Amino acid sequence: MLVTWRYRKRRSLVQSFDPRAWIIFYLCFMGVTISFWDVRILAILFGLSLGIVISSGLTWRETRRAWLFIGGFIIYFSLFTFLTGRGGMEFYTEEHVIRNVQASFTLFGWRPVLHITVERIFYALSMLVRVFSLASMTILIPYSFNPAQYGVTFRGLGLPDKIAYAMDLTMRFVPTYARDFQITMDAQRARGYEIEKLRGGLLAQVRKLAPLIVPVTIQAIAGSEDIIDAMDLRAFGIQPRTWLEELHYRPRDRALIVAGVGCFLFSLALSIYGVGTFWVPEALKSLPLL
Amino acid sequence: MNPPPPLVVEDLTFRYRDRGSPSISSISFELPAGHLLLLAGSSGCGKTTLARCINGLIPRSYKGELSGRILLHGQNAAGWPLARISQLVGTVLQDPERQILGTRVLNEVAFGLENLGLPRVEILERVDRAVEHLGISALRDRETHNLSGGEKQKVALAGVLAMRPSLLILDEPLASLDPASAQEALALVRRLIDEGMSVLMIEHRVEDVLRIHPDQVMFMSEGRVRYQGPVAGLEHAVDYREVKLPAEMVIARAAQEPQAQFPSPAIRRSLGLARPPLVQFEGVRFGYDAADSVLHDINLEIRPGEVIAVLGPNGAGKTTLVKHAIGLLKPTAGRVLVQGRDTHELSVAQVASTLGYVFQSPSHMLFAPTVREELAFGPTNLGHTPDLIQQEVQEALKIVNLTGLEADPPLALSFGQQKRVSIAAILAMRSRILVMDEPTAGQDFRNYMSFMDSILAMPGFEAVLFITHDVDLAVVYATRVLLVSQGRIAADGPPEEVLADTGLLTRCRLVPTSLLHANLERLPRTGRFVRAEALARV
Repeated sequence: MLVTWRYRKRRSLVQSFDPRAWIIFYLCFMGVTISFWDVRILAILFGLSLGIVISSGLTWRETRRAWLFIGGFIIYFSLFTFLTGRGGMEFYTEEHVIRNVQASFTLFGWRPVLHITVERIFYALSMLVRVFSLASMTILIPYSFNPAQYGVTFRGLGLPDKIAYAMDLTMRFVPTYARDFQITMDAQRARGYEIEKLRGGLLAQVRKLAPLIVPVTIQAIAGSEDIIDAMDLRAFGIQPRTWLEELHYRPRDRALIVAGVGCFLFSLALSIYGVGTFWVPEALKSLPLL
Repeated sequence: MNPPPPLVVEDLTFRYRDRGSPSISSISFELPAGHLLLLAGSSGCGKTTLARCINGLIPRSYKGELSGRILLHGQNAAGWPLARISQLVGTVLQDPERQILGTRVLNEVAFGLENLGLPRVEILERVDRAVEHLGISALRDRETHNLSGGEKQKVALAGVLAMRPSLLILDEPLASLDPASAQEALALVRRLIDEGMSVLMIEHRVEDVLRIHPDQVMFMSEGRVRYQGPVAGLEHAVDYREVKLPAEMVIARAAQEPQAQFPSPAIRRSLGLARPPLVQFEGVRFGYDAADSVLHDINLEIRPGEVIAVLGPNGAGKTTLVKHAIGLLKPTAGRVLVQGRDTHELSVAQVASTLGYVFQSPSHMLFAPTVREELAFGPTNLGHTPDLIQQEVQEALKIVNLTGLEADPPLALSFGQQKRVSIAAILAMRSRILVMDEPTAGQDFRNYMSFMDSILAMPGFEAVLFITHDVDLAVVYATRVLLVSQGRIAADGPPEEVLADTGLLTRCRLVPTSLLHANLERLPRTGRFVRAEALARV
């Protein structure tokens, strides 16, 4: 099976809240996190997100692939930023050197030098912690929210019926399209097509994907006529609809929203007043300048 | 005074905006309460257009020129909003996969009621009644994606019934069901009719629907009604080559006509007996996970000269079995040998030169801008030289009778031509065995019979294997039947032996057909199974 739903009902902190309240809290958390560059504040936020992940009832086994993929991606980019030293130029004007590492080789007569500076280390660290807290909160979502409630959640957040129902439809047809894709993949492999053997530049590779992309797209377009008919025949979009799934805010959900929005506004105010900007320990500033 | 009938159609004509001529012309009929009207006809005869006019999609979603009147319970429905029509006319479309919109059965059945803006309490009450009425209460909280084809069809029906229509339109409801599920669905429809529902059923498998005794039959061709009346008159009014009639009716008709000639198969069984098998399954076992086995201990050989029908209900493992032969799946225990080589050591591409697989729907594989490029795709992947490819493409086109269409885009061809292109794509790879999954899917009776006739008459393949749940296809075309049930080979042998065991068929959720019965009765005289027309001369 190509698609398996990640969502399960679990005893977890996330699932104890109304999904709308959680989405609002999640957006506020994002807002708070991107307001700061101070690694001390980011560490607290990271600790908070980690706590939420631990309380979510997810096992390492079911989330391993997501973590390895996203984690690998974040670490790679943080390292890349550190090595080039090009990331945080807008935050600091001077750099304090811990060590300069000279390469043992030369490239066309130029000897590469890696400047290990306090600022670069702290910038990479801040970025790592910042993105990891955002990622941890985001990874939770597909595992914690019931796909059957996506529509009503977004309706509850104020989106119109048609757009909110589109969320439900997407969830409904993901497995159908996955199945169509699998059939096309099998059909083309049976004609000797080997996706592993894609070669050439980006454009050439995309062109070589045509045997998969064209049939899957055609199927989707042809299928959509039936889907539209089925919706029309059952009076979709003619008047405001009832949503069978009901969501009710309880005091704890309201509290979560108030806390989330409060923290966000407070963080916004702090960042406007210049609190929580990029930070390096004072003690390390005595090191020689680059 | 009697209440007016649920449906009256008066002199209805419709032309789609982008077409030159009308798709239906001057259609008039009446459907009283508690009646079943069977509407039959081949593809493109206007059945679906008529259904769209009645359920209001025409002219609301499909634009064009409409004349004539449709009266629902005596009132002219022109200008009514779909919300109002949908509470009187319920429609179940052909493919349940595409009309089920809810992720869970509960949401699916409630969908229409939610759109009507009914209060929640009433929605839940109506949903519970609808699922209870159809005997699917146990499915209420299941995810729709995991249901079987038959269950999906019932859920789709429940979603329509929950809106409490008095008229039901069923557009080829049996197309994707195995015979036993189709019978269950028909029994359900009969019950609804007996309770007072009026049903318009569109189906070209007339024989199946006759089992639930339609009150009237309407036969359409080229947008016009050719016959309208009781079932008894159908035999003389309808061309038995166009819709599938019960075997005895066909035999009676064919006996009055000059003897017809049928193409003889190009595959000769006698050629293969002395030659080594092309494919061997040795103790094959397979499961997607260790606990759940899909195939158990499969042993079989495919020899040149065989036309094999793989029969069995949905979910029996037919497709999984065939995917092993073409190397798409590898056994978890045992081995599959293709021309003596273990598929574990072969790539799918290497197997493709022996077995060519044609999938159910051509739109799953056609992609190239021209027919020529489409046909060259396989041989190019197999590393054939450009000169050889050109020759292979020309030969394949000639065999499937598509010469002259080399430069046309395959996706712009008719469905029947697309099917031929998909066969030619396999022929061009010079595969020795043609493997087809549900070769008749999406085609009407006349088209699929002529399609099967022409494939078996084609030179080029040494053996043909097809998956089907149409028992008659095995009766007419197969020289060997593999009956698959619950991941095992339940029977393997000539159709005259395997299909004679009607008890076994029923256990495998297959339903003996009138053609099978007619053949079994005459077997002492014929010695083998033949098509209904040929039985007329026995």
